[in-house]
Amino acid sequence: MPVNSGVAQASNALLVLTIVVYALAMLAYAGDFAFGKRKTPAPVPARLPELVGAGAPAGFDADAGHTFPADPSDLSELADLSGRAADPAGAAGPSAGAAGLPALPGLPALPDRRSRWPASAWLRYAFLLTCAGLAAQAGAILTRGLAEHRVPWGNMFEFIAAITCVAVLMLTVAAVRFRAYYMGLFVLLPVVLALAVDVVVIYTPAGEVVPALQSYWLAIHVTGMLVSIGMFIFGAVVTVLFLLVARHERRVAAGLESRSAGIMVQLPGSSVLDRLSYRAILFAFPAWTFAVIAGAIWADHAWGRYWGWDPKETWSFITWLVYAAFLHARATAGWRGRRAAYIQLTGFACLIFNLVGVNLWISGLHSYAGLG
Amino acid sequence: MTQDLAGGDPVTELKERARTEGTVSASVPSSSVAVAGPGDIRLGARETGAGESAERELAARVPAATAGTGGRLGAVGWLRWGWRQLTSMRTALVLLFLLALASIPGSVLPQTGIDPAAVSQYYASHPGLAPVLARLSLFDVFGAPWFAAIYLLLFTSLAGCVVPRAFRMARSVRQPPPSAPRRLGRLPQAASFGTAADPEPALESAARLLARKRFRLRTGDGWVSAEKGYLHEVGNLLFHLALLGLLGSVALGGLFGYKANRLLVAGQGFANTPTALDVFRPGRLVSPADLQPFSVRLERFTASYITSGVQRGQPSWFSAAIQYSASYGGPEHSYDLRVNHPLIVDGVQVFLIGHGYAPVFKVTDRTGRVVFDQPVPFIPIEQSGLTSAGVIKVPDASPEQLGFAGVFLPTAVDVSGRLASAFPAALFPRVSLVSYAGNLGLDSGQAQSVYSLDTSAMHRLAVPPVPLAPGQSITLPNGLGKLTFTGYQQWISLAITYDPGQTPALISALAALAGLILSFLVRRRRMFVRAYPGHDGRTVVEVAGLTRSDAAGGFETEFAELASEIVHVLDGSAVVAGQPATTSRSAGDGLPAPAGDGRPAPAGDRRPAVEQLAAERSAAEQPAAEQSAAEQPLGAGQPAADEAALAQAEGE
Amino acid sequence: MTRLKRSARQAAAARVIRAVLVGSAVLAATSCSGGALAQYTPVSSGKSFVGGSYSSTYYRPGSRPAAPALTGALLTGQQFSLTADRGSVVVLNFWASWCAPCRREAPALAALARYFQRNPVRFVGIDSRDTVPSAEAFQRTFGVGYPSLNDPNDEIALAFRGTLPPPAIPSTLLIDSTGHVAAMIVGGVSYSGLKALIVKVLGGRS
Repeated sequence: MPVNSGVAQASNALLVLTIVVYALAMLAYAGDFAFGKRKTPAPVPARLPELVGAGAPAGFDADAGHTFPADPSDLSELADLSGRAADPAGAAGPSAGAAGLPALPGLPALPDRRSRWPASAWLRYAFLLTCAGLAAQAGAILTRGLAEHRVPWGNMFEFIAAITCVAVLMLTVAAVRFRAYYMGLFVLLPVVLALAVDVVVIYTPAGEVVPALQSYWLAIHVTGMLVSIGMFIFGAVVTVLFLLVARHERRVAAGLESRSAGIMVQLPGSSVLDRLSYRAILFAFPAWTFAVIAGAIWADHAWGRYWGWDPKETWSFITWLVYAAFLHARATAGWRGRRAAYIQLTGFACLIFNLVGVNLWISGLHSYAGLG
Repeated sequence: MTQDLAGGDPVTELKERARTEGTVSASVPSSSVAVAGPGDIRLGARETGAGESAERELAARVPAATAGTGGRLGAVGWLRWGWRQLTSMRTALVLLFLLALASIPGSVLPQTGIDPAAVSQYYASHPGLAPVLARLSLFDVFGAPWFAAIYLLLFTSLAGCVVPRAFRMARSVRQPPPSAPRRLGRLPQAASFGTAADPEPALESAARLLARKRFRLRTGDGWVSAEKGYLHEVGNLLFHLALLGLLGSVALGGLFGYKANRLLVAGQGFANTPTALDVFRPGRLVSPADLQPFSVRLERFTASYITSGVQRGQPSWFSAAIQYSASYGGPEHSYDLRVNHPLIVDGVQVFLIGHGYAPVFKVTDRTGRVVFDQPVPFIPIEQSGLTSAGVIKVPDASPEQLGFAGVFLPTAVDVSGRLASAFPAALFPRVSLVSYAGNLGLDSGQAQSVYSLDTSAMHRLAVPPVPLAPGQSITLPNGLGKLTFTGYQQWISLAITYDPGQTPALISALAALAGLILSFLVRRRRMFVRAYPGHDGRTVVEVAGLTRSDAAGGFETEFAELASEIVHVLDGSAVVAGQPATTSRSAGDGLPAPAGDGRPAPAGDRRPAVEQLAAERSAAEQPAAEQSAAEQPLGAGQPAADEAALAQAEGE
Repeated sequence: MTRLKRSARQAAAARVIRAVLVGSAVLAATSCSGGALAQYTPVSSGKSFVGGSYSSTYYRPGSRPAAPALTGALLTGQQFSLTADRGSVVVLNFWASWCAPCRREAPALAALARYFQRNPVRFVGIDSRDTVPSAEAFQRTFGVGYPSLNDPNDEIALAFRGTLPPPAIPSTLLIDSTGHVAAMIVGGVSYSGLKALIVKVLGGRS
């Protein structure tokens, strides 16, 4: 079927609009860091040290000195904190849990639904712009698919547009679910850069795919790849941020001056970021496994063997191994934290090489980049 | 709590080693440290997942006595130490990295099994380096012995770790959760409140609530212990065991499967016998009689190309109309063979891999007899116009053997003096050949590729390689004969594969995925409830929860919900004594205001969240000896590894 | 005590399982291409034919597989039936005009056919993946006096699957007077070697 050029042009226009809107969103996020006033954070659950530790009844084994800190794994309560001191007194009032059950001092309160929305105006506009950009990008991909009468991921241009879309989608989900609004600037930066390169250098006009790609497996395998790569991108950005924040914390703990303190105090602690990136990988790794398996099934269907050590297959395997090493590292004493972060970034580097390097520099059965 | 003390400095061992998903305490109660040494007792203790601390101390003390001389390891001890090193997490990490690293040259350098022509080219362009690389098996990385060594070691490590865990899992399926620690306040999630009910009924209500939530329960004197999430371990084991199954499936395919290639010109047929195949790669245990006896004939091949636009010349679709029968003399069926649409006959898959043109030539020799009259497959040398190159060998022409080499151009155009093909469809077919006469080299018995012409013993004939249209001919000088280009056919190349391990591999892969998702979704967690009379006549109820230290979080929400529900069920209220006056409650939560005297919050607790986390971590890593012993959630026969992770003493 | 006993048993079981796993993994690693057929088929690259390396197998009279009831059309057009030749030793040679080892052994076969022409020995060729003009030209080149069946679609090769499929070309089968396969030679034959074999089969001695 011939390509609908009018709709294809609309797709290109929407993609350019996406870049513009994301750039504006980035400005708004930066504005929040620079100018945003931190309103009182949402009521912190009253699971506070002094309530139980200090005021224990006589029959209870008071364990002086032991604190019940806010659980670092609760991203919902910490993610929107600016990293400044939690105000125990002011926030001591427990709010009604979402389940409608009363929360008592000494008990953790459930996250308050009302307070998911960011308090800062800058952040709100930034997030709205992000969502608008995401809608535009989704529209661009959708119209491209409509123009080509096929699933719109058949060459590198379309692929990059799609994975950046998934990365921003992951950002919005993390923002709403885990209050990770602060991630906006850092995720959008590589996304905008990638889209700019994609549109200017890698652009391929809408068209058909070669017969080898004319299969419903395109939708299954490549979609799985897209989703997992987008999540890996998000995870990598969070990890880089984690390393920076951890470095800042170390410097602060050692009493040294940290040059990036201005921004660092506005971000949550390193363990929050660590958990967030781990969560991203927990989603992305099974998705990647699924995509590789789907690719193997398709390869068996098309070429007669489910694994042939084609360069792209080999690099997918390498990426899988490194991320598996990351997951093992998370469970090994002495390898958590920074070492695991470096492993994750190595895996991400393998992923990028798989996406770009293998397509451009190594030829194999997988050469569908549409370039050259 | 000690995991494994055989070999090496114990404290370092403990700090660095970890069973899968278990962590080892950074500091160890001195009573249970023992000098390293082999011993059946210790092995036994590890295998069964050492019981109470007393038994462990006993076990620890006995070898300590015998090893007081310095603790030398015997050969068996070293083997055991080696085995434990192999099956440790750290080794798995290293092997995973090694395997990834080892795969890199296999993707960067050309591989013999995939693209042998590229390997030859590499030899040509790197004459000094290539033989060195070949000796290191770098042109066949994935079949190289060192690559096999890495993945075999990895799988051995995996098996050595997973199989015992599977046994332990099977044993622990029926076992109750551990007893509740004495000091629930030390657990990461903890809360306490007061209730008017008596301790016993309060515990019962809490137990009922937890039972409704499908926790496995164990009650004791003044406490309830609940555990949930065993599917996590099931998923984990399923994943790793499925990987072993995948390896077995690959082995199965390698032993009993085979791969073959065959090029078929339209009108030709073939049967699946070794003599009929162009390339045949059998598995180790495959013999000619094992080949499934199907036969395939190509009736017609059609290809359609995009004629306009940016993608002009790109193929749009291919279709090969074939007739096949599953056995000798069996009924024939027709099939439309396309890419992504293979033929499956008798368990064998036949794939359409490529296509091209086969111009038909007729050669008559000096005697005037026709010595050659058949299509000759030409191989495409470029994709956009399908310019194809080929060779014609006429070994039985007399007086001299003849050979021709040249190109076939489907849509021939003259591009500034050079011939090229402008479009892949045969719109304007031309063939241009260079002619040779002499000795082809076939009679010596040395095998030659049918696509290459060895002209070392031949002389070129003085006939210009003019492009021939169908029907035209070249007349060779000296009356050597005549070659006529009579027309063209199309050919397809088929890949024939039989892999009995294919379905098991798929099942293993899907099982691995299922296990992975299961282990990521389900967390192993424990809830403890203690109730005892408080000093003011009310019952103090403490609720605490614990989850695996490497979990991603989310448990605190679940704990909060569970704790709130327990409070609700018991109509609990804040602990009477000890409410700071500064506590404010949000209105309308329906709870009575606390009547405690309250004490001011310790100033030290007003810390930024970051430092609170650090405090928590350091607090968690300082177990008191009593703490570790008390909170050792080791019921009889509990797997040591899991409990290590969950016990407060081990911490983060 | 019970616990220790159980653990010792488990330790033993675990050791056995480990050994089995390592062993099968080693087997897997060595099961790359190769094996029973490898000696016949150079695992060749590219699109070429499957040649063969030399091997000769003789079957004792009691353990000879029965040859299939082969029928087909000769290049000359006449019909041929293998069972019609009961009583003679049949030398069945699989060849092709484009196959170099076949060309190398052709003079020996032609000479042997002439040598044994007064004995109850019949030479028949089976020409695979060849066209009639090329096959006839081959026969002229080497003076091949005996007839050949044309097998462009490998049907004859398939017929042999149940008994003794030829793994490569050239291959030569010696079928004794009772219609059983007495010997199989894979690869090019030599004059003296094949002559000795025919004599042996003719003589009926083991």
